[in-house]
Amino acid sequence: MTVARNLNLSQCISEALHLEMERDPQVLVVGEDVGGQGGVFGATRGLQKKFGSGRVLDTPISESAITGMGVGLALEGYRPVLEIMFVDFIGVCLDQVYNAIAKNHYMSGGKVRMPIVIKTAGGCIGSGAQHSQCLWGLFAHLPGLKVVAPSNPYDAKGLMASAVESNDPVVFIEHKGLLLKRAEDFTFGADVPAERYTVPIGKANVVREGTDITLVTLSGTVAPSVLAAEEAMRKGISVEVIDLRSIVPLDIDTVATSVKKTGKILVVDEDYLSFGLSAEVVTRLLERKISITSVKRLAVPDVPIPGALSLEQEVVPNERSISAAIAETVGKA
Amino acid sequence: MLWMRQFELACLEGVPTREIHGELHTGVGQEAISAGMVGFLSKDDAMCSTHRNHMHAIAKGVDLRAMLAEIFEKSTGICGGFGGHMHIFDPSLKFSATGIVGAGVPVALGHAYAARLKGNQAVAVAVVGDGAVNTGAFHEAMNMAGALSLPLVVVVENNEWAISVPFSASSATETIAERAPSWKAHGIRVNGLDVEEVANAFEAAVIRARSGAGPSIIEAMCYRFRGHFEGDADMYRSKEEKERRRAEDPLERTKEILLGRGLATNDELNEIERSVVASISEMLASVRKDPSPAGKDATRYVFAE
Repeated sequence: MTVARNLNLSQCISEALHLEMERDPQVLVVGEDVGGQGGVFGATRGLQKKFGSGRVLDTPISESAITGMGVGLALEGYRPVLEIMFVDFIGVCLDQVYNAIAKNHYMSGGKVRMPIVIKTAGGCIGSGAQHSQCLWGLFAHLPGLKVVAPSNPYDAKGLMASAVESNDPVVFIEHKGLLLKRAEDFTFGADVPAERYTVPIGKANVVREGTDITLVTLSGTVAPSVLAAEEAMRKGISVEVIDLRSIVPLDIDTVATSVKKTGKILVVDEDYLSFGLSAEVVTRLLERKISITSVKRLAVPDVPIPGALSLEQEVVPNERSISAAIAETVGKA
Repeated sequence: MLWMRQFELACLEGVPTREIHGELHTGVGQEAISAGMVGFLSKDDAMCSTHRNHMHAIAKGVDLRAMLAEIFEKSTGICGGFGGHMHIFDPSLKFSATGIVGAGVPVALGHAYAARLKGNQAVAVAVVGDGAVNTGAFHEAMNMAGALSLPLVVVVENNEWAISVPFSASSATETIAERAPSWKAHGIRVNGLDVEEVANAFEAAVIRARSGAGPSIIEAMCYRFRGHFEGDADMYRSKEEKERRRAEDPLERTKEILLGRGLATNDELNEIERSVVASISEMLASVRKDPSPAGKDATRYVFAE
């Protein structure tokens, strides 16, 4: 293993976009502050300087125009990467996302393609109810969108390359708590090659092997899950940690293989609890008639993300609450 | 115009028989606007239309039979029956439609920006109704088109009614055209029953767009002869208003112009009408024999890969 390069996760995404734009002249980046500023998290840094203000367009704060424009550009043969600064802002342009981007391929009987990446920052960083959501469950519920949320620098770069080259629309949710974290601070996925590579969309990653309980998660809660699993090991509980990487497609095969071995499942989801990822994972296992002796769901308990840290820690999964959930799942709480 | 009128009348036949089992929105009475756009666009120019899109598609050159088959829910339809009448797509002509009011304008903005990137002379046309001009998407797209001086032509079919709410009760401005300068666009209001007036304004807007001078709004005044959709009780418009306004038929008006200027004789016009009616009637009979899409295919096309 080589020494991790001194990059943060947003630079890895920017590197992926540089390589995709070099490789394919049809790739464009459109959004607020993506050009001169290089993105509020730096994930589009250097692109406008290198590829010009035509291919890297700074827009007004007009999300309906950005996303609708993406549809028109895709109809013209381009591959637009549309940045919606925070995923919470999708509310003002969801129409184009779910009525056009997600459906045009279907409604046209396969005649038109929507190779669009909706690149957006999600996850909790203490910014309260309107700037801290994940919302991947919302996108996953709407047919026609692939939904990706990487947990580490290696995956972020490789999944972005796959998202840009995909002929389907991909909602790419970057966790705000990870974007500015340095690669060397990750315990997994820290080694990021400088050259182009892809990580396939729809293939989960077994981050840590274990035999007693299967912990399924993604994005910002993978790292605390691994720490909680290490702590559990010290108490004699062996936890297998699976990073889903994407929830559409959902790699239920990898989860099923693990649960067949452990018989116990804990889903850790930073999105809202009800009607979401955790219920979907468990239901799909039940539909496969996989024998499960214990089920636990740890997710935001159907409340908006609160402002104060003391309130936030109570509802957003963290290492402490994941550890408690592991103990409950194995009946040692 | 005759083709457009007869096409819409053919669609109406599918409603009582349930061959068209959902909503149907026709543009009967608004033909002069679509006819006024004919001849100024090539296949490289884009057009983004609405829920009331059949006549716009005809103006862009979309195949009538394939469209009629889509509306009649056949596997031979232009979208294989997956779209339905509000969602007509013909990528070979850069024609698309959306059932969401106002949502086509940002899409047209994307086509206009593509023309800028490609450095060609293409224009993007968005056709909307008067209801769409009060959406946020309309403002966002117009503002960006003005800011970037993009080749966007917006044709507003102002039929004065957004379903049951009159334009006069929902607009802060008396006209839509007068809003144009706030977006660095050219605005003009025309009589949408007069095909020549529409054509002149449309040609000027297309030339302006191709020359790089930026976006235009053409507000074409018209009247929706039928309800918002087939089955609409249409109690919001008085009987007197409907009778008076339907008497101003754009087809009759065009006919009178042709006769008055000696461009055609009554016999010639009647012969053209007979021939168009016969063609559409044959087309409808033929479409009706086509198969429905196979139910098992309903899960196709969600993803391309």
